[in-house]
Amino acid sequence: MTVAAPNQFRPRLAVLAGVLVGVLAAGCTSGGGSDADGQAPEPPASSAAPARPLQVELVTMAKVPPGGPSASRAAKQAEPGLEQFLDRYLTAAFVDAAGREGGWDGLLGLFDKPVRASARRQLDALSLGADAAKVSAVRPGRASARAVVLYGEKRPAAATVRLAFDGTADTAQGSGQVHLRSVLQLLATGEGWRIAAFASRTGPPR
Amino acid sequence: MTRARRSGLAWLTALALMAALAAGLVVASSPRRPATAQDAPAVTVQKAHAGSATPTLKRRVVLLTIGSDSGAPKFGRGGSVEGGRADALQLVVIDTVKRRGSILSFPRDSYVNIPGHGTNKINAAMAFGGPRLLVATFEQLTGLTIDYYALTSFDGLTDIVNKVGKVQVNVDMNLRDSFAGAFLNKGKRNLTGGQALAYARARKTLPGGDFDRSRHQGQLLLGGLGTYQRQVKQDPAKVMTWLGIIRDEVKTDLPFPELLRLALLATDVPASQIRSIPVPSVAGSAGGASVVRLLPGAYSLFGRLRAGKLS
Repeated sequence: MTVAAPNQFRPRLAVLAGVLVGVLAAGCTSGGGSDADGQAPEPPASSAAPARPLQVELVTMAKVPPGGPSASRAAKQAEPGLEQFLDRYLTAAFVDAAGREGGWDGLLGLFDKPVRASARRQLDALSLGADAAKVSAVRPGRASARAVVLYGEKRPAAATVRLAFDGTADTAQGSGQVHLRSVLQLLATGEGWRIAAFASRTGPPR
Repeated sequence: MTRARRSGLAWLTALALMAALAAGLVVASSPRRPATAQDAPAVTVQKAHAGSATPTLKRRVVLLTIGSDSGAPKFGRGGSVEGGRADALQLVVIDTVKRRGSILSFPRDSYVNIPGHGTNKINAAMAFGGPRLLVATFEQLTGLTIDYYALTSFDGLTDIVNKVGKVQVNVDMNLRDSFAGAFLNKGKRNLTGGQALAYARARKTLPGGDFDRSRHQGQLLLGGLGTYQRQVKQDPAKVMTWLGIIRDEVKTDLPFPELLRLALLATDVPASQIRSIPVPSVAGSAGGASVVRLLPGAYSLFGRLRAGKLS
């Protein structure tokens, strides 16, 4: 009986250790990627990493006319259209631009006519630009925007948007980061928002 | 070994084992974090590029800015803004390609032909036929096509200046004009709405009378442009603030898209590239009333503008 006592301990200890190991392992797995199969780690930041969908985090303020809707209601009303426009812009400028060797008409169509020719000359400051040809894929990272919308009588008329985008681009030489920091002055038209003026930069952050 | 000692040893062994397992797992799991943008190896995909652009409009834009003496309840001025006399008249001519321009200031008593109304003081044209007739009068006088007008009142001017938060003006003389309420010293001054209106109205105590007044009105416009540019440079969203104020305080035939484009273009036209020019004229009289007659130099000025040599 005296010998049996430790024997009774062993199964309890084993269960405890098993549970603890299980919990620890689960914690590590949820922290990212199980190593249970013991394979060598994957190379970091390759095209095999799961692509996160582009999602613009937008904060909107509105300036309303006397007798118009409340500023918060106007901001809420303007938000979906703005978000959709910024999504279209970043998709055309970066996500769908990979591998492109020309043909930026989709992106340039988002510019108001009086500024379109200037935008065409400055694609490198507005998008992947000339680097698009060497990029096989762009994985969106953080995309955020702050908008001040000028509300007309019944709908948004214009907006100033500060836009920031970071992503990872894959090339034959490896992967690297892409960045955009822009101030876009937008005009609401019958066809949606159009960029009427811009100040923009791409490349490594300052 | 006693049972108690054996039991303690077993616990210690188990704990050590668990610690080792846990440590092993932590070490093994570290490189297994999923790749994120921050993990990307340092391959330079993009070089730094910067650019900016404002709209390129048709080569020349001509805007008539009008200050009405009516429709200002805060100053006891009844009637409609459009039905009043045009007491402040500036012709703003912008070369949108060269990004430069001129502001021509016209004395309100300029004695000119008003289509359908004979010869009269130019400020009467608006009272006769609203802004449209005033525009037609200017077009006939200058030979220029006026693209748009922008009209405000005493209330509008003071509200605009107060809402944008003072306007910096280069006051060109010491002013002590109790009629207009203008008490300002020469130099760069940040004017409130009331001070800006007084500066634009002061006439009776000025050596040049109406000529000095119309020059001051031009300076006020330039001061407004400079203030706008400084504010937008600090915060680009100020374009929306100014447009909102203009929408509320100014009557204009400018369609909103064109107003926005001009406002954006205005950020790109240095105030130093805009000349404020009083139209050459001289005091005179007509039928017992004091008027201002335009001198031949005024007509050559209009000719140079038409030829695109001034803006």
